[in-house]
Amino acid sequence: MNTMNSTVEMTASKKLFSIKDSIWALLVIAGAFYAWQSFGHIMDAYEDGILVGSAIGLILLGRFWPSIKTLSYAVATLSLLALWTYTQHNNQISANEQAFFLKFLISSQSAFMWMSALFVLSTIGYFAGLIAKSDFTTKIASILAWSGAAFGLVGMMVRWRESYLINPEYGHIPVSSLYEVFILFAVLTTLMYLYYEQKIRTRSMGGFVMLIVSASVAFLLWYTFDRGAHEIQPLVPALKSYWMKIHVPANFIGYGGFSIAAMVGLAYVLTEKIQLKNPNSSFLRAMPSLESMDDLMYKTIALGFAFFTIATVLGAMWAAEAWGGYWSWDPKETWALIVWLNYAAWLHIRMSKGWRGRPMALWALIGLVVTTFAFLGVNMFLSGLHSYGEL
Amino acid sequence: MKNFPIMSHLPHPQSPSQTPKKHAVFMPFLGSMNLAVSLLVMLAIASVIGTVLKQNELFQGYIIKFGPFWTQVFNELGLFNVYGAAWFILVLLFLLISTSVCVYRNGPGFMKDMKQFSEKLSLHAYQRQPHVTTYTPQQFDIEIAQSVLKDQGYKTKVHHRDDGITIAGLKGSWNRLGYIFTHVSIIIICIGALMDSNLLLKYRELTGDLEAETRSVPLDKIEQKSWLGPENFSFRGTVNIAENQQSDVLFLPYEQGFLVQKLPFTIDVKDFRIQYYDTGMPKSFESDIILSAPDLDKPIEKTIAVNHPLFYKNYAIYQSSFSDGGSLLKLKIHSLKAPENKPLILDTAVDKTESLKTPIGTFKLELSDFKMHNIVPASEEERALTGKKMHNNGPTIIFKVRNEQGQALEYENYMMPIEQEGRQFFIAGMRASQAEPYRYLFIPADSNRQLDRFFNFLALINNRIETKKIIENAIPSGIGFEQNAYRMQVRLLTQLLALVRQKGFNGINEFVTQNVPQQDQQKVMEYYTSQTSVALQTLYLSILEQEKDQNIQEISNFNKQWFDDAITALSNLPDYGPPLFIQLDSFKQIEATGLQITKSPGKDVVYFGSALLIIGVFFLFYVRQKRIWLAYSAEDQTLTIAGKDTKELPEVAQEFQQVVQAVQSKL
Ligand code: HEM
Repeated sequence: MNTMNSTVEMTASKKLFSIKDSIWALLVIAGAFYAWQSFGHIMDAYEDGILVGSAIGLILLGRFWPSIKTLSYAVATLSLLALWTYTQHNNQISANEQAFFLKFLISSQSAFMWMSALFVLSTIGYFAGLIAKSDFTTKIASILAWSGAAFGLVGMMVRWRESYLINPEYGHIPVSSLYEVFILFAVLTTLMYLYYEQKIRTRSMGGFVMLIVSASVAFLLWYTFDRGAHEIQPLVPALKSYWMKIHVPANFIGYGGFSIAAMVGLAYVLTEKIQLKNPNSSFLRAMPSLESMDDLMYKTIALGFAFFTIATVLGAMWAAEAWGGYWSWDPKETWALIVWLNYAAWLHIRMSKGWRGRPMALWALIGLVVTTFAFLGVNMFLSGLHSYGEL
Repeated sequence: MKNFPIMSHLPHPQSPSQTPKKHAVFMPFLGSMNLAVSLLVMLAIASVIGTVLKQNELFQGYIIKFGPFWTQVFNELGLFNVYGAAWFILVLLFLLISTSVCVYRNGPGFMKDMKQFSEKLSLHAYQRQPHVTTYTPQQFDIEIAQSVLKDQGYKTKVHHRDDGITIAGLKGSWNRLGYIFTHVSIIIICIGALMDSNLLLKYRELTGDLEAETRSVPLDKIEQKSWLGPENFSFRGTVNIAENQQSDVLFLPYEQGFLVQKLPFTIDVKDFRIQYYDTGMPKSFESDIILSAPDLDKPIEKTIAVNHPLFYKNYAIYQSSFSDGGSLLKLKIHSLKAPENKPLILDTAVDKTESLKTPIGTFKLELSDFKMHNIVPASEEERALTGKKMHNNGPTIIFKVRNEQGQALEYENYMMPIEQEGRQFFIAGMRASQAEPYRYLFIPADSNRQLDRFFNFLALINNRIETKKIIENAIPSGIGFEQNAYRMQVRLLTQLLALVRQKGFNGINEFVTQNVPQQDQQKVMEYYTSQTSVALQTLYLSILEQEKDQNIQEISNFNKQWFDDAITALSNLPDYGPPLFIQLDSFKQIEATGLQITKSPGKDVVYFGSALLIIGVFFLFYVRQKRIWLAYSAEDQTLTIAGKDTKELPEVAQEFQQVVQAVQSKL
């Protein structure tokens, strides 16, 4: 019995400390250390903490989801290339118009344009593959989505640096304006979808999810070209807080989860409709089973709900520090609560009444409307303390 | 509606026999998930109303928007203060009760469930579990079986049945803790929020112990009933303190008025600073404050800023806003009707009210605000020239002029001239109510960028005797000009000027429509207008003559343009309200910092609840409670492997198969 036990443990321990994982951990630690060496002098204790936390988080995430490692290597390489090119040009922001790489590939603005194009192409690819029943096409679409996410992340890294190049006083992590969080949203939603795509081994839902990513890209392009929102602006005093750095990403994991759930809900409703009309439709064979879509909806809402809870609590703690009260019934706060209550009700109904399928799918779609209003509508129609990104 | 078969069923451990009979209906209702969901949805809808309908505004505003009837209805429903409305509090209270009852009913069962291995069931019962396999192992060893389950992360318990052995495995029981954490946390958060609510104040108001102050009066005139002592349990209010001033009170907004909160410490403000980015956006708001209290040996000195409050005992002091702290102002008050340019000099300050006696009555001048900077987006040209995106228009004063009937007009006057289309103007805004935008008067600046020429010119127009003299001198007489015609011309011009003086340019129009036959009106009007222009130009020339440095032989373009702009300004003067113009001559800025001070005993309670909530949510979603039973039958030497999860997810079947394989590889 003892021998058997130890072999089992060995396989388990082997899983814990694979060579790839160790290299990964070492690289993340080295990267974090390098960042701390270079920028530690402008970081406060909280930001040190956030850096350590992010490094640990990234190590764990890489172990949990290996594809993140590849993505990170690509993002790191391209970002460092961009930073290095800026250094070659005396750290002048104008280098983004001169240096070839920056101008056409990886200055933040170019990277975002690449991201936008890749996301839209990926959406088209997913749908084309679904209609033409071509595995190869959806595979390409998936690669496009990965590349788009990579470019989005590179753009954010470079934009972060650029904000300091324009004026050290302006410098901030790009999660503070409506423009910046839209990019965050597109990237996070895509990545979260890609995780589930691997996990449930189907690419047939890609088009649906990337539809909402494409919609946010469309908004982003309008916002750039019509409103010039891409210009890097300094932060207003209320936003200068370490809370922002954790509150905003947590929020967008939440929004991402809810969006994916809604789009899966849409896929569900369509699939069910087709099933009723024509049970032998080839579309049905391409789509995952209704049950697994229903389950995916639950899982993404659960994930979104968990992170949205964290984000709301963090938001309250930040509000307590910036405005002097953890809850002021400010429209943004209130709408966060509405979104949260809505999904709490969704989860309870599913649990207590055992509702599954279409009603829940439709509710998830309505949930997206509520979420979108909390995210965008509040800034457009209601005024309040959260006036960071008015349209 | 097409549902999946309900795959998971909720354990609702409740034994009716234990519950007293009369509660049999009521408690289940209170603790039911239907009620919980309804309450969640009600809260959400109420919150929507609260954000869509602007809260706690002035009544007049609502009446304009909704009409008196609906305003009345909405008000009765508490829709203008949703979050303070009795029914809203009631919903919250119900949620609190419902969640408590729910935890009370389900909690103990779930706790038991966490420890329960269900190892004593019959073989038959195991065979009816959602996942089952039965096979014949080569031999059955309790220790090996246990170790296999342990390797899979299960805690185990062994039971010897009459007909064999059961090894029960359980893992992820923290999932149940998750339920308890999340739901208890809701209760805790609600309690924390209630601790920080103004429920106590409402109670004191009901008993007549407390009443909001609605007037704006000095502190010593505020009734005792509107004061709160330092022992007050929790509060959140604001106070504006000017530089080098101090305060030991706070103002809490309450219903349509406010309450005064006495603080157990004093705050001295040494300095308030705003720093700006090069874009003109504010970069930081900071106050240097000193907090002194009787029980402090040494006062606390600290600079607070947005996001960097000062914490003292259970109080927190935040930088929340800023305002004018009574800046000293030196004003020049020009009468728009006086025949001489001799403005009244007035030394006053922001927040003061001055009485102005004029021939047409006494006016109250209420100085409401002073702004040092008025930063606006720069024009295209300026942007190209300087690269700056923002432009500073310099200081303004904001004031009201109130007549004896109590009607007031609001004004916003800039101290320095502002460039418009390449010319410099003094800009003065006026409006009758806050709801309107300002309408602006543009007074052209003279060559010294001052107002002197304009008011000299205006005074001259107002000066009947001087005007007449100038006109008489200016019109050529004698040779070639008949005495009679000369006199008529002088009379026409002085009369036209008198009309302008009394009623503005409209006066001429009025005169013509009243005194000239219809068919001639247009012609006469044209003639009079040109003659008025001649008269005004004549006066203007004499003004230019007085300004020693002007060449009147050849009028410069600047001076020509100035005249046109001055005429435009003159024609707008009658709409400018009482015939006064208030010019800001000089100032000494005094700023006030806006502090928000809170005593929030519920905060830590809420934070504790929130932490519990987050932990609980993760337990609920990401820890799955799983059970496995290995039931060996000694009789027919078969092993039944049964499995059951609290939540039936698609991966459960797969995971069950993995356990089965692990067991079969060893047994
Ligand atoms: C604001 C109030 C509440 C919130 C935010 C809340 C939140 C949650 C969440 C997130 C879950 C997990 C759902 C899942 O695993 O999919 C849950 C489960 C549950 N809730 Fe609530 N809840 C609230 C009030 C109530 C009330 C009043 C009841 C009383 C009936 C209740 C009863 C339950 C039960 C029985 C479960 C199932 C636990 C399980 O078997 O895993 N909840 N709740």
